[in-house]
Amino acid sequence: MNDTYERVVRLLVRNFGFETGDVSPADTFSELELDSLALVELTLAVQQEFGVKLTDDDLGAQSTLEEAVKVIESKPVAA
Amino acid sequence: MAGAAARFDAAVTGIGMVTAAGIGTREAWETIVAAEGTAASRVPALAALPASAGCWIPGYDADEAIGRRKAWRYDRSSHFALTAAAEAVGDSGLDPAAWDGTRVAVVLGSGIGGAASWEKQHNVLLKDGPLSVSPLLIPMLAVNMSAGYVAMQHGAHGPNLVTATACASGTTAVGTARELLRQGVCDVVITGGTEACLIPSIVSGFAQMGALTGRQDDPRTASRPFDADRDGFVPAEGAAVLVLERAADARARGAHVYAHVSGYGASADAYHATAPDPEGTSAELALRAALDDAGLSPDTVQHVNAHGTSTPLNDAAESRLIRRVLGDRPAVTSVKGVVGHSLGAAGAIEAAVTALTLDRQLIPPTANLDRQDPRIELDVVAEKARAADVEAAVSNSFGFGGQNAVLALTRA
Repeated sequence: MNDTYERVVRLLVRNFGFETGDVSPADTFSELELDSLALVELTLAVQQEFGVKLTDDDLGAQSTLEEAVKVIESKPVAA
Repeated sequence: MAGAAARFDAAVTGIGMVTAAGIGTREAWETIVAAEGTAASRVPALAALPASAGCWIPGYDADEAIGRRKAWRYDRSSHFALTAAAEAVGDSGLDPAAWDGTRVAVVLGSGIGGAASWEKQHNVLLKDGPLSVSPLLIPMLAVNMSAGYVAMQHGAHGPNLVTATACASGTTAVGTARELLRQGVCDVVITGGTEACLIPSIVSGFAQMGALTGRQDDPRTASRPFDADRDGFVPAEGAAVLVLERAADARARGAHVYAHVSGYGASADAYHATAPDPEGTSAELALRAALDDAGLSPDTVQHVNAHGTSTPLNDAAESRLIRRVLGDRPAVTSVKGVVGHSLGAAGAIEAAVTALTLDRQLIPPTANLDRQDPRIELDVVAEKARAADVEAAVSNSFGFGGQNAVLALTRA
């Protein structure tokens, strides 16, 4: 996977207690046991890390990490 | 008034502790019994404050204790509660995988709640705005959440609450837990108290009211209950959890019983926000109610685990109360000389220590008692632990707001 994926994984490791080896691109957030509150927390962390704006629905429980990466990359970086 | 025949004994069958004196009951007890000084040092988070001494727990690693994947979701006060509860339940020998969770209650005490998480997120709000505030702020902050998380940890579906009576919260929790057992609404109660608010806003508040010690350059001698030179308390963090069962149930399964919680009394001064009523009239009501509930006459109490905060006002008023109701015979101690004052956790830590005292027949000394205040005409245990035949003891707690709570414990 690409640089965006690596940066998302680093967020999961730094803020959410994962080990790098715990996650793979095909994992859904549900499979990673990240509930709705955790996904809002992750949304905040992604916005700060990438300088993009996400809606509350951009990261869903059934999204895979690979899909989340595409969503993040589709967002314009805020000025 | 309940007589001895009607006494209800709640058996203490498990104990867990997270304190500055040690993580785990064994280490905490050994440090408390050694009483070589207050387990206090400068708290890095308070470095910018005039009062930065506290009994904090630098060795506590929440990721290791709770698991990295979960720990980030909880406030430090919940970390302590979860760690102490896991130790206490394990120590009890009860198996949460096998018990009927609908008959297991959780009653914890906490004075303030997840204040560290609140302070952190308030700073986020001021710096980055409302859309940056963590969605987990409320479950980190709310004072009830530690009990909720302990229930999730152990599958405890019975009554679940947190008592908030300031510095008496842990004692109120244990007393309330025993009432639930007595009423028959549960068979097991996980009870105790937790606190973790050694943060700039809270400690500044205590400092500004003049409650804290001025001995900031020498934290180890700063908490000195009943000493002539005491000048305020040392703030602390920590937790203690006890597992209570009806005495007959504990006996039937052959559990080790540390002691019985045999009586509980509570009252309110209705006097002043922070100063104790100097007459101690209402505190006396609570003490006498606990004795009556346990069917104990005052002259049978051999030991008092005092509130003993090391403030000039508390220790003077409490010692007059003890002397007036129990006389000068009981051996009195305050563990706050070692562990400091952990607010809502204090009563639970002291209930745990009192249960251990009855179990081991050993009274821990009051640390830093170099010269007993001559106005305190009590037998305060100092210098070294005292082996003694203790059948009955009381543990006092008094909270800001004038909230008084007293437990009577008896030898199992």
